[in-house]
Amino acid sequence: MVTGPTQDEGGLVSQADHLGQSLRVAADARRSRRTQRVRKLVLSLAVLVVALAVWWLVTALELVQPLYLPSPAAVWQAFVESNTCRELESGRTVCGEQNYYMWEHLIASMQRIAVGVGVAIVLGPLVGFLMASIGWLNTALEPYLNFLRALPPLGYIGLLIVWFGIGNTSKYWLLFLAAFPPIVIATINGVRGVREDSIHAARSMGASQWQVGRHVILPATLPEVIGGIRIAVGFAWTTVVAAELNAGIPGIGGLAYVSGQQLQTALTIACIIVIGLAAVALDALLKHLGTLLVPWYGRA
Amino acid sequence: MSFTLDGVSQRYITDSGEVVHALADTSLEVPTGQFLCVVGPSGCGKTTLLKILAGFLRPTGGEARVNGSAISGPSWERGVVFQQANLYPWLTVRKNVELGLKFRGVGAAERRETGQQCLDLVGLSGFEDQKTYELSGGMQQRAQIARVLANDPEIILMDEPFGALDALTRERLQMDLLQISRERRKTVFFITHSVEEAVFLGDRVLVMSPRPGRVVLDEKVEISKKYGRLLPGKELRSTPEFVGLRDLIAETIYAGQAPA
Ligand SMILES: Nc1ncnc2c1ncn2[C@@H]1O[C@H](COP(=O)(O)OP(=O)(O)O)[C@@H](O)[C@H]1O
Ligand SMILES: [Mg+2]
Repeated sequence: MVTGPTQDEGGLVSQADHLGQSLRVAADARRSRRTQRVRKLVLSLAVLVVALAVWWLVTALELVQPLYLPSPAAVWQAFVESNTCRELESGRTVCGEQNYYMWEHLIASMQRIAVGVGVAIVLGPLVGFLMASIGWLNTALEPYLNFLRALPPLGYIGLLIVWFGIGNTSKYWLLFLAAFPPIVIATINGVRGVREDSIHAARSMGASQWQVGRHVILPATLPEVIGGIRIAVGFAWTTVVAAELNAGIPGIGGLAYVSGQQLQTALTIACIIVIGLAAVALDALLKHLGTLLVPWYGRA
Repeated sequence: MSFTLDGVSQRYITDSGEVVHALADTSLEVPTGQFLCVVGPSGCGKTTLLKILAGFLRPTGGEARVNGSAISGPSWERGVVFQQANLYPWLTVRKNVELGLKFRGVGAAERRETGQQCLDLVGLSGFEDQKTYELSGGMQQRAQIARVLANDPEIILMDEPFGALDALTRERLQMDLLQISRERRKTVFFITHSVEEAVFLGDRVLVMSPRPGRVVLDEKVEISKKYGRLLPGKELRSTPEFVGLRDLIAETIYAGQAPA
């Protein structure tokens, strides 16, 4: 430590001061970031608590019949029951709902999404690259892509069932058709957005057309493709109920639909909440994966 | 390698269908090893000229040739340093610098060695494995220059490469570039908006008129020859020859800009 600053040590003192100051600044910045995060968390929790409280109050005061809006406790019970076994009055033991635990329903849906979106993730960028780089192909296909994108899945699921049967194949197709356009469109936009100078730089370093595609356009487009995949996965979740309307058991969307028809409203709400949470969790995972794959995004 | 422009001109058609006459008939001969600087008001067609030489753009009139044969597209023998560093953020600094050699099928060991030499040359030793977006602007520009040098092109085309840098970095890179281009006898086409930079670096300076651009002044720079290239930058800049040429060029540019 510096003891009694003399003139000679002036430089040293101010240096130490300076260092101390920048450490303080860094610590302050960390602290303010942390308080900000805590504040956000508190706000989110507060909103959740208020929403639950209102929900509970409305049901506790019996303002709405339980058939229309069951209490939070009832929904929680439906959630627990759908994941466990219980004995009925008749002495029979049933496990879960519709012969499957809820998590099995969820996994069945996720598998369908994985297949449908998975194929879209493989084909989407490929078609996107081809359309972006071959002018006539783009002219030929773009209207159909926009047409497909505008169609409501509920509208053509019946047709897919006629074509591919009531089993999983028609569901895969539906999810694929929902996920495919956003990925293709994101890829096309990504390729179009590649800066001309990036391509010129590679060409003047001796890159062939193929090398430009492989070493410049492909990585430069990656952020957009990942963005497209996130949109596609989100869209697939919104489509999964439509996909599982018919013969959708096991399936979380199917369970939501069937339980609603059987007036098990609490279970329907539990399903909806699970679908929402699963979608949010998956999106967070994809977002994280995105920052790992394209750490330069937004910084270069 | 030498290059020639034979009545080259360029007309662009804008998206709204308007015709922009960017470059008037321009003829020019640049011998091997010459350091040619080009100055002129913005929009006078300097970058257009560079794009034609690089092979990014086919001129709408005339022909550009390298060693007597027409330019038909980009080639690694004509390296381009852009105003923005244009590094690929998905590659490390080293991988960026080695990329040209990779494109051309050079083996990994040789790539590594040549790349390292060029990185050392521009003063980026120790930053090889950094991410490009973590470098300062000056360092990125150095990396871009290293990337072009690694390819060892005969002709180096540079578009205001030091324009965005601070004075100190710019001066250092100027000295480095001068040394490299002389040692390796490179032909350099160097666009700048700094008259001072043009006179300092160039063996020859071209001044272009406002659009449609054409060459209005073509001056050899003999100063460093006269002083035996021994004078340090600062002193060179205050010789009467330097000051005289600088003022002549500046006047020519301003005269051209005055409304007719
Ligand atoms: N692709 C293009 N389409 C239409 N006009 C262009 C295009 N590129 C350049 N121009 C025009 O041509 C002129 C010369 O441009 P440029 O060569 O970039 O000038 P400089 O580099 O000297 O500033 C400018 O007026 C510019 O607006
Ligand atoms: Mg320019």
